[in-house]
Order: sequence, then structure tokens, then C-alpha cells
Amino acid sequence: MIVPRILTLGGHDFTSRPPDRAVSELMLRLATERAGGRPRICILPTASGDTSEQIGRFYAAFGERPCDPSDLSLFRLGRRPMALRDHLLAQDLIYVGGGSLVNLLAVWEAHELQAILSLAWREGVVLAGQSAGAMCWFESGITKSSGRPEVEAGLGLLSGSLCVHYNNEPERRAAYLAAVGNGMPDGYGLDDYAGLIWEGPGPPSAVTARRGARAYRVTSSDTGVIESPLPARFLPAPAPAALREDIAEFRRIKSMRKRAGWLG
Amino acid sequence: MESGNPLLDDYVLGLCTRERPRVCFLPSASGDADHYIVRFYRAFPADRCEASHISLFRREQGPDDLRTHLLEQDVIYVGGGSVISLLGVWRAHGIDAILREAWEAGVVLCGLSAGSLCWFDEAVSGFHGETRRVEGLGLLPFSNCVHYAPGSERGLAYHDLLRAGMRAGYAAEDGAALHFVGTELSRVVASRPAARGYRIAADGERVMEMRLATAFLGDAAAANVTRLPRATSNSLSAA
Repeated sequence: MIVPRILTLGGHDFTSRPPDRAVSELMLRLATERAGGRPRICILPTASGDTSEQIGRFYAAFGERPCDPSDLSLFRLGRRPMALRDHLLAQDLIYVGGGSLVNLLAVWEAHELQAILSLAWREGVVLAGQSAGAMCWFESGITKSSGRPEVEAGLGLLSGSLCVHYNNEPERRAAYLAAVGNGMPDGYGLDDYAGLIWEGPGPPSAVTARRGARAYRVTSSDTGVIESPLPARFLPAPAPAALREDIAEFRRIKSMRKRAGWLG
Repeated sequence: MESGNPLLDDYVLGLCTRERPRVCFLPSASGDADHYIVRFYRAFPADRCEASHISLFRREQGPDDLRTHLLEQDVIYVGGGSVISLLGVWRAHGIDAILREAWEAGVVLCGLSAGSLCWFDEAVSGFHGETRRVEGLGLLPFSNCVHYAPGSERGLAYHDLLRAGMRAGYAAEDGAALHFVGTELSRVVASRPAARGYRIAADGERVMEMRLATAFLGDAAAANVTRLPRATSNSLSAA
């Protein structure tokens, strides 16, 4: 049976720092589980306007890993036409980068991408994203696409609402709490490096890649809006790429020595 | 903003009465690409005009009130890229309605490629692999095809769309620009001697392609023809 899965992240980057490596590793693991082999991972950098910077960072994180990374840049289709539907449905994980939530949804609508992404999700392609790329899957989120924090409706694959960069942007969090108090659907607040894994229809499980980064359930009640931290599984960072090579080299030498009887 | 060829940029600035015209660049069709914004400021330097840009992907920078800013301009310059993405982003920020208002108030609207297609009722977009029909803002009640060349793949695709019911319209070769005053074509000008504009319409299965008299702006005699009256609702579409 296919279990639709989504990974929503409050904020991260694709650097070589341990929490970023931990997040990339989680995505690679989810994608590999779906593929049952070498996975295909595609970034949709739409929310940034398809900046070379965002695309470059993605390739830096996944280019040397056991996967086939690609990017689908809707603003660059003129130079590089792609069959949107075929390409997206062939992926094991689709990652949506951050930026303007309003523009993301508008450009997707113009290219009729919503239906394709919804189908991909139902077929078990893992959907993942951070910031705007996380809020887009919910009924609604708090965007700063127009400069000030405002409520914006998402695709609604996940019920409820999401607020990202919860620890880092007090004005966004304040706008979210006010909105939930005013009837915005209950939902979640995610610090940078906190994430939620959604598998099937049940409640999500929380993960964190940095000590202190938290995921909150945010609900309105008669006495006001309540933020309850969720228990989260800590994601350890894998060894950095250079170290992985050193370890592999060390193991090769060790096994050669072993075969030669040098280590007894 | 043709590299090394300022003729069309000069022509646009020449349509304004203000000594240092206000020119605002909308790079939305490119996803607000940084290198494109830099090129705009190089093409429209501070000694000639008061240049600004609006980045809809970075609203935290730039003018807060988009409507006020756009209505204060003499020229709004729309860059090339994906016309489908362009129109989507504009609708999301209410730019489509503001541009109509600006046009009616006499702001010169201009642009190239996707920035030309967007003003028309129907556009021929070759951006996305297969050539297809795209609905534009509809300020100009015609169809439009850019990067046109008679007999080219895109040209033939435009003819097919016309036979299939697309409304009659105008095509421009690279370097040619269509200057409309209101919804009337006023002049066809070009930054390259051989570039031409075309009027194209289908009558049943027959497509009529009429080559339009095009003034090369590099020729001093052509460039100095009487300045157009300061008419309202100018738009200049270049390929």
C-alpha cells in the first residue's frame, strides 16, 4: 500500500554544517526508502524565482551522494524545456525551496503544477520543503511575501496551518498566534532545524537536527492560543563528505591488512 | 536593453516629456534575476533617467506601495522570460490591474519578448517547448508573436494558431518594435536595419502576412522624424 509522505521543515540550508547535513541525510533516506535503490531527487526552486544560488546549494548537497539530483526551473524552461508531469512523477522526492509563498503558488497555478504534485504525493513520491516550501502543503501559512507577515492559503494536502522560522522571526510568530486566535485553522510552529514527517492520515512525527530546535502544536482554546512543544527525535549528522572518503579509505586499508594477516 | 545597442531604449525615453523620465523595471518574467536587474540599470543610467525596479520575489526591499510607485512612472519596462510565470505572479500581486490603470493614465508601457506578449489579448509563447496560445492582459486587442521570422518554426506555429481561430495580430522580428498609441499601431521602428514588423491575419485557411514599413532608428533621418504627440496610452512592444 502506498503511504503518501511529506517532510515539512521550519528552515535549513544546504551547507556542510552538521544540522544541514542531518536534514539532507533525512531527505536522502526518505527518498531511498521510496526508490528501494538509487533515488531521484528534484528541487523546485520556484519560490526563489529559480535563483542559481538555491539550485547550486542543492546540487552541492546531493551531487556527491548516492542519488540522481535534478532541478525543475519554471522560469528557465525556455532554455531547457522539460516535460513537467513526466519529470515530476518519475521522482522519489520533490524538494521545494524557500522564498515567496505567494509567487510560488501563483507560478505553480499558471503552469498547472498543483494537480501534478497532488498526484505525485498520492503515488508515494515524498514531498519535502522548507519555509514557503513547507507551508505550501498546508491549508494556510504565514507568509512575508508582501513584506509584512500575512495569512496565505496553501494547497491543502495537509490539514491545518503552519508557521516557519518560529524561533527566529518573532513578528511572524506573533502574526500566527493572532491569526489562530482569530479563526485560522490550528496547526504547527516550526523552529529552524525542526521538522514534521507526515505519513498517511495520522498525526506527524517531529524531528530536530539542532539541539534546542523545536516543533510546536499550536491550538486555539477558550483561554487563548496554546503552544505545546512536541517530543522530537534527534537527527544525528552523518560524517561530512571528506571524512566519509577518509573512513572508506581507512576501511579499505584495514581489510587489505586483515587479508594479509597483518592485524592477526 | 539590447546589449551594445541603445537605439530602442533611446526611442522609449524619447517618448517622455520629463527631462529625466522615471523608468521602472519589472523583471518578473525572469524570476527577478539579479544579472538582468544590473543590465537594466546599466542601460538606463542615472544621468538620463530616474530608474527603479520592483522585485516581486523580494517585496521586503523596494517600494512598499506598488500602485503609487507604478502610477508615478513615465515608463514601465517589462523584461523577458516566461510569459506564463509573469502573468501568474502579476495576478497574485494585483499588478495586472495596476498596469491597466497606469496605461490609461498615460504611462508608457514597454517590454521585450514576454514583456511584449503580455500586453496583447492573445500571445504566441514558444518559451515552453511547444508553441502555444497564452492569454495576455488584453490591453491591445490583437495577437502577438515575438522573435518572429517568416517561415520559421515559430512563425509557422503562429500561422497554425491563426487558422485555428486566434485573432489577427502583429509579429516582430528581433530588433523590431511595435509602437501603439491607444490600441492603434502608430509606428514600427527597429534597432537593426533589416528587422521588420508584420501584420498577420487568417482568412479561413489562408494566412496573410503583411510586411510593415519599419523605420531603422540608426538612420539619422528616420530617428528625427517628428516626435509623436504626447498621447495617452502608449505601449511599445519589442521582440
